[in-house]
Amino acid sequence: MPSISLSVNGRTHALELDPEMPLLWALRDSLGLVGTKFGCGGGFCGACTVHVDGAATRACMLPVGKAAGRAITTIEGLGAGAGGYDQVRAGAEGSEPGSHPVQRAWVELDVAQCGYCQAGQIMTAAALLARTPNPSDEEIAAGMNGNLCRCGTYMRIREAVRRAASMATSSAPGEGR
Amino acid sequence: MSAHVSRRTFLRVGSAAGGGLLLSFGWRPSALEAAQAGTPAAASLQPSGFVRLDPDGTVTIWSKNPDMGQGVKTALPMILAEEMDADWSRVRAIDAELDRSKFGGQGSGGSDSMRAEWDLYRNAGATIREMLADTAAEAWGVTRTECRTERSRVVHATTGRSIEYGPLAARAAARPVPQKAAWKPASAFTLLGTRVAGVDNPAIVTGRPLYGIDVRVPGMKYAAVAKCPVFGGRPAVVDDSAALRVPGVRQVARIPGHENPTFLQPGVAVVADSTWAAFKGRDALRIQWDEGPFRDETSASLSDQFARLARGEGTTVRAVGDVDAALAGASRVVEAYYEFPFLSHATLEPHNCTADVRDGHCYITGPLQMQGSGALVVSEVTGIPRENVHIQVTRLGGGFGRRLLSDYAAEAAVVSKAIGAPVQVIGTREDDMRHDYYRPAGARALRAGLDANGRIVAWDCHLVNLSRNAYRRGTSPAWSTETYGMVTGLSENLAPDFELDLVPWHIPHVRLRFSEPRSGVATGAWRAPAHVANAFAVETLLDEIAVSAGRNPVDLRLELLGPSSALRITGDDPTPYNPERMVAVLRLAAERGGFGQRPPEGRARGLAAHYTFGSYCAQVVELSVGPQASGAVGAPRRVTIHRVTCALDCGIVVNRSGVEAQAQGGIIDGLGHAFFGEITIDRGGAVEGNFDRYRLIRNREAPAAIDVHVVPSTMRPTGFGEIAVPVIAPAVANAVAALTGDRIRRTPFVRAGYTLR
Repeated sequence: MPSISLSVNGRTHALELDPEMPLLWALRDSLGLVGTKFGCGGGFCGACTVHVDGAATRACMLPVGKAAGRAITTIEGLGAGAGGYDQVRAGAEGSEPGSHPVQRAWVELDVAQCGYCQAGQIMTAAALLARTPNPSDEEIAAGMNGNLCRCGTYMRIREAVRRAASMATSSAPGEGR
Repeated sequence: MSAHVSRRTFLRVGSAAGGGLLLSFGWRPSALEAAQAGTPAAASLQPSGFVRLDPDGTVTIWSKNPDMGQGVKTALPMILAEEMDADWSRVRAIDAELDRSKFGGQGSGGSDSMRAEWDLYRNAGATIREMLADTAAEAWGVTRTECRTERSRVVHATTGRSIEYGPLAARAAARPVPQKAAWKPASAFTLLGTRVAGVDNPAIVTGRPLYGIDVRVPGMKYAAVAKCPVFGGRPAVVDDSAALRVPGVRQVARIPGHENPTFLQPGVAVVADSTWAAFKGRDALRIQWDEGPFRDETSASLSDQFARLARGEGTTVRAVGDVDAALAGASRVVEAYYEFPFLSHATLEPHNCTADVRDGHCYITGPLQMQGSGALVVSEVTGIPRENVHIQVTRLGGGFGRRLLSDYAAEAAVVSKAIGAPVQVIGTREDDMRHDYYRPAGARALRAGLDANGRIVAWDCHLVNLSRNAYRRGTSPAWSTETYGMVTGLSENLAPDFELDLVPWHIPHVRLRFSEPRSGVATGAWRAPAHVANAFAVETLLDEIAVSAGRNPVDLRLELLGPSSALRITGDDPTPYNPERMVAVLRLAAERGGFGQRPPEGRARGLAAHYTFGSYCAQVVELSVGPQASGAVGAPRRVTIHRVTCALDCGIVVNRSGVEAQAQGGIIDGLGHAFFGEITIDRGGAVEGNFDRYRLIRNREAPAAIDVHVVPSTMRPTGFGEIAVPVIAPAVANAVAALTGDRIRRTPFVRAGYTLR
């Protein structure tokens, strides 16, 4: 099998994998980054949402071969600062995981019920706010529409995106995507 | 809303459990618990299996029942912490391993945790609090009554001196555990009733391993299982040559199945080095199936069967008075026929479980709702003695009743035993959806007889439904799981009626009949089982009667509910049904939701109420109905839900954030399944396999606003994980009728002409 160079949360990995394997399984089974969730395998639910070069992307639909050489951020690396997840693991100052405004808003508003979809919701919300820092209610509902929540946490998701937007605009920039 | 939980505490626990990039907490189930709980110090105080106080003041509380999003891992520790007067920021909560000696029965179902565990957790909290207070009082040479406890401290009232709990742990541990310790009065609660953020939130938002699918065990394999696309079928001839050529595939193993199909279904497992290879290998299997007797079954054939059975006599389950005579003598008879489809649970985490069978033991780590019965099932299919089956439940990525059954744990155990290695069995979305144990489909034929004054004098219901109890080979009658929430009359002894979750109404002549169709479709419990369909039929017919008789729907309900003094309720249920609590939520929802007041132009309001698992709920929906969603002939019209007002009585509120979340989430769940949910049967199997065809409600379709009003109460807490679900669909249907005159008599509403905006 070919060696694939995968850049995840600021760290580069060389993986011997079938290039057709979806990125999702490379993250979960090869790299042990299990925060990215398997929900449907067909791009319908958004549980596997990651950032590829900053864009919210369904990891279940992207062959790992096509992810090679691109900058991938998973939930584990969100809010980790420029050094990525490794920096977090090394205990670097100010790089506590969960420090992204979206993550903080999600905890404050107690959004999660079962929580399984929430990594994908958070990655989608973070990408939405990076593109549209002050979204309207309609932009939030539309922007989050691709992520299913089986528990029905949509009311708090909308509120948390609003809260994160207000946090992000009132705090220092560059806190992560 | 404040987050009382220290984020750092839980991140530390999370990373101890994970231990790095290759996150491994499943080697033995107890490893997860040990990683979460840490090692007890010699000077720790642990008077029961529920709580431990370490000398540094950390309070560890074991949550005995699985958390599937209903919040029990936060709420159960809150009960104990309240009674203990523990500082919540010093509390960490962990999922208990299966251990009957410590915890008694373990499992989450029937909205039962708050009701069933209230005494246990309060007693455990009161016991440790008294030990600490006695220890401090003795050290100070004062009496216990001069001391009070607050925020993890014992305080001497007159001198004001105080000491933290932590340093008292060692001396307290030397004392005998008191047999009985008094509870705090509800008026002294400081934690219960507040909004507390879920204890797993920090781990959830950072992607820490929490769920069954996240379990990684050294040396483990991954397996996917092929099962017959026709319900009741089994593999006949298996050609696994192509599957074994898929890179990464290691082995193919037959799963024999069990005579009880809720224990284990027959199939073929493909074992591989990665999930992806297991899926690819499974798809490469060539299998001839023995399809069994139900290969020609379709949704249409089932509908025909329901209608035919509904015209027959059925079995009489309950009869009060003389319904036939009362209907014959009625001024008017209102009749309606309702039909309901199969629903999939569609937990977002597909079914999965990790098992390691070795040395005569079986170690299970996975997302089970019922670890107690799960151990029995695993023992039954593996032949390993029950006491050698060890189960650690993970957080569940949704349950909704699917995980009351442990078939996928049995699969994992059988495969691990066959290959001699730890294995994670995992379903694709299609496996999960096409081999679910569905909300049983059925129909209801209802007739109500009215007298000249518009009073209901006769109520006749023929319930035609598949039975999950029959499917699971239960010994009680088939109807016993399908009558929940149906109407009964005022019989002499209501205790047997309450066991069936029947609700007594002031109607002199009531009859409930049942017929069981013949079908191969696998069925099980689906959130608020039977209540969802039964409440829809009862609450929409009631509205129809009220409107046709020119009566206020609230007044009509109050008349039917009657005073609690009219009911003779026996038995030892500490929170027996009380119609006055239902009256209170009806009035509250009507008032706050503006029911009976004139809605804005182009909008209408609908009301419904229901009693489920000890709790009471009424909802008012305000909606409008727009034009057709597309120009196609028969295209559904778009419904916009502007506001839902929910009044709820679930006794004492433990975690207000949790109660509000369950009410909002339950309404959205009920709404989505009412509009879209349907598993279609064709050629004996399930058609829908993924979320493209099995539509779940999406963010934009959720109501613009959901207001939740919880009735203040000093009654024991009752369940709130299911109560909101059955109420929303009839409230919507009643509002649609108010606006259009059209009575919806089936779900999904998309098949009755209505979709969400």
